[in-house]
Amino acid sequence: MSTEAKQAAKPPAYGAGAPDKDAFTGRNGVPLYTRNGNQNDYRTYEVYQRERVKEATDKIRPIQLISPEFIRNPYPVLEILRENYPFYRDWLGNSFWVTRYDDVTSIFTDDANFETRPKRWFYDIEDLGRDLGQEVALLTAQATRIDANVERIAREIVGGFKAGGGTDLAIEFAARLPLELLACVLDLPKDDFPKFVDRYWRMQRGAMWEPKSRQAGLGAVQELVEYFRPLLAARRANPGDDLISAVAMLDTDGAPATAEDLVITLLEQDHETLHGALANMWFQLLTHPEQLDLVKRERRMVKFAWLETLRHSAPVLTANRFARHEVERFGRLIPIGALLHCSAAAANRDPRQYKDPDRFIVGRKDLCQREPRGQYRADGLPAGVAFGLGKPSKHPAVPEDRPRSLYAITRDTATTASNVLLDVVPEVRLKPGATPALRSLRLGEMHTCWNLPVVF
Amino acid sequence: MNTEPFASVFARAIGADAGDAVEKAADGDFQDIFPLMPVGQRVDMGTAPDGTPLIDPRIFFSAEFRRNPWPYYRLMRDHYPVYFNQLNNTYYVTRYDDMTECYFDDIGFNTIPKGSSNGVLGNVTHELSGVEHRRRRNLFGQHLVGKALENRVPAIERLAQEMIDDWSNVDAPWCITNGNVRTIELGQAFADSFPVRVVCDVLGFPSEARGNFVYWYNSIMSGLGASETHKQGMEARQHLEDFVESIVEDRRKNPTYLYDNAGRNIGKDIISKLCESQVDGDYLSTEEITALIALVVAGGGETTRGTLMNMWYSLLQKPDQAEAALADEALWDAVFHETLRHSNPIGGQPRHATFDVQIHGTVVPAGSLIEMVNFSGSHDERIFHDADNFNIFRPDLYTGKLLRSGYRTEGKCSHMAFGVGPHMCPGAWISHQEAVIGSKILSRTMKNPRINRDRMPKDIDGVSLAPIGINKTRELWLDYDLA
Repeated sequence: MSTEAKQAAKPPAYGAGAPDKDAFTGRNGVPLYTRNGNQNDYRTYEVYQRERVKEATDKIRPIQLISPEFIRNPYPVLEILRENYPFYRDWLGNSFWVTRYDDVTSIFTDDANFETRPKRWFYDIEDLGRDLGQEVALLTAQATRIDANVERIAREIVGGFKAGGGTDLAIEFAARLPLELLACVLDLPKDDFPKFVDRYWRMQRGAMWEPKSRQAGLGAVQELVEYFRPLLAARRANPGDDLISAVAMLDTDGAPATAEDLVITLLEQDHETLHGALANMWFQLLTHPEQLDLVKRERRMVKFAWLETLRHSAPVLTANRFARHEVERFGRLIPIGALLHCSAAAANRDPRQYKDPDRFIVGRKDLCQREPRGQYRADGLPAGVAFGLGKPSKHPAVPEDRPRSLYAITRDTATTASNVLLDVVPEVRLKPGATPALRSLRLGEMHTCWNLPVVF
Repeated sequence: MNTEPFASVFARAIGADAGDAVEKAADGDFQDIFPLMPVGQRVDMGTAPDGTPLIDPRIFFSAEFRRNPWPYYRLMRDHYPVYFNQLNNTYYVTRYDDMTECYFDDIGFNTIPKGSSNGVLGNVTHELSGVEHRRRRNLFGQHLVGKALENRVPAIERLAQEMIDDWSNVDAPWCITNGNVRTIELGQAFADSFPVRVVCDVLGFPSEARGNFVYWYNSIMSGLGASETHKQGMEARQHLEDFVESIVEDRRKNPTYLYDNAGRNIGKDIISKLCESQVDGDYLSTEEITALIALVVAGGGETTRGTLMNMWYSLLQKPDQAEAALADEALWDAVFHETLRHSNPIGGQPRHATFDVQIHGTVVPAGSLIEMVNFSGSHDERIFHDADNFNIFRPDLYTGKLLRSGYRTEGKCSHMAFGVGPHMCPGAWISHQEAVIGSKILSRTMKNPRINRDRMPKDIDGVSLAPIGINKTRELWLDYDLA
């Protein structure tokens, strides 16, 4: 750029009291608002194809994608999209919907062209702290403590169910187990548990469009920071093998981790998959007694019930990706910044991948039966897409210096806990007259069973 | 040791009641969450700890918002000058000064074709930016302004007079004569078809195309963007293209002309002119000409219809202003502009951020959709005093010749209904002529016009007339004296 042009490219004064533009860098590391001084140089180079009559999307109304019916049961609407408009432009939501298995997984593994905006972006607290979730020390602490404690915690929880009585499996088992586990991984004082559950869930639920939840969540983030600050200092002085100690002992680039980092790390972690899929698995087993009998007869089938649940009734329905730049996919030009809803719910029931995809079949032969490694496929078979667990590992085998992936840890946790349940109350069955169902509490939240009354 | 059962701890943590509200809102209008409020008051959507009122984005889908939008826009202007609607993945710019700045920055806030009209209208001019937009816009824009527009005024007057003269001869439910009083429904009697006839005439379509025109127009409008009638719109677009293709091929050889009242030839009509227009040394393709015509077809009807209806509905609710305007035809310009300021038929214009940009502390990532809310800009109390009140005598509204640069001098500002800057509505000047000429002729015909309140929809109190909000006046029953 010539000197003259540099002078012409002075940043515009939008709004009062805005920070210095030169000192401000955008989200992608791109300097904010550099523009060419000569407007005549600018041409709209995009060539957009005109749509033809046969490309009309008249089998769906976009309002269906935010309707109460969709919140309860998204599968019929998603089937219309997947079978008719696999790359659907949703004008109402200013977004695209990707619904076929190969398409969803191709977008989800394409970091070069599509980015995730973390929960803290939606909270607008990107500067608060760092996400340390990929630090090996943290992953190791998490895996170690889960493996050491999951059976004990499951036995404590299930032991509390009165023999001959009943309970609500969705709350007392599926919701409770992950929270008790998390408290154990953090090694929290027992008395703090109710307060922690309250703050943790408020924080997780707030990262969304609903303004009151968002405010409550922001409050919870601050409360958690204040709560963890003394704990972190104490563990730094006297470390254990828990996650807080691992954060406290972390020394990256000379900047010791703070309580803010710890809270952001917790925020960005998955809080839905273990809870949601555990509830969904037991919902499916209890409403399909022949499958439950199969699992009872052959305990190795518990693992396959879990894998089939992640496919058939994934708790995390969609993941959002934003186009980093203009890119062509599926025969269309996707503009920079475009929002793509990648639908796991639609992909997991893609008949191109799975025979009879709407049926819950424990041990189905066309589903990958181990931790997926490499672009969602292993042994030539597709795995259920479970967004909460992140991307499958690229490595053909587990690297020696890292713990197992979240896919494997979560699977083993769910399997262990479910086996404990079957050991302690083998006669578990649905409470007579109960009609449990899956639903999301709000648009965009996890799709799971919130009420699963059982008797023993 | 804590002894509280886990179930109650968890129920409190997830706020179980909060989720149920969504389920209850089974109707599309969200009336369970957002009850209809008296005009000018708003639903309380909660407050942040620092006292800032919150906005629930579902409000934009609600019936309450459509009839009573102004308090919500005020809330956005005061507290969220750049509001991010996460539910629709859209940013809203709501202050007059901000949107003016954005409108003039055609590079930073581009209009490249990501818009919902792309499918139905084709690659239209308003979705281009920079130099490409300027060239194509001038091709047809020049026929809708200045001398070219003056040449069309006699035809507009003639069309209006013809329609109104017909009232005496019709036998229709929208025209009831009872002694000395005649009751008409202004939409069916005049406003629904007048703009369509003008557009047909301006484009030089043969009169047998008029029937098709209504089909094209209705289908294209209902097929725009987020609707299940998308296919209908695409079919109409294809049909229009086939028709225009035959016309264009003919006009390339046999151009057609416009004539004044005395029958003198005053130049070629728009399609004949477009046939001989060139871009980059090449003639326009039929596809390009169709896109231009589709835009005129879609833009020239509903907007002017809504303006005419809103003008008469708003004016007649202010008896002293109505009396003045009916006594002095020169005031119709002020009625036109004040109506467009107070309740214009087009809500806003989409832009896309070309770069990451920060406005009022909100970082808008590159590529984001930013809606310039014209509705809100025209009601910005930083610009217009007592902005929610309809007043044709307001001293702070500029009512002179429409300027693409906008107007802001000596305490007078232009309204935002047509936008401002390079993309300002190219039909602004002709729609001004249509609405003002039509209203003048109407006011000469109708003696002592007044709203027939019995036949009009009412507001929630059951007494006062329904507010316009961001809707358009759908029907307007007027009484007037025949002699």
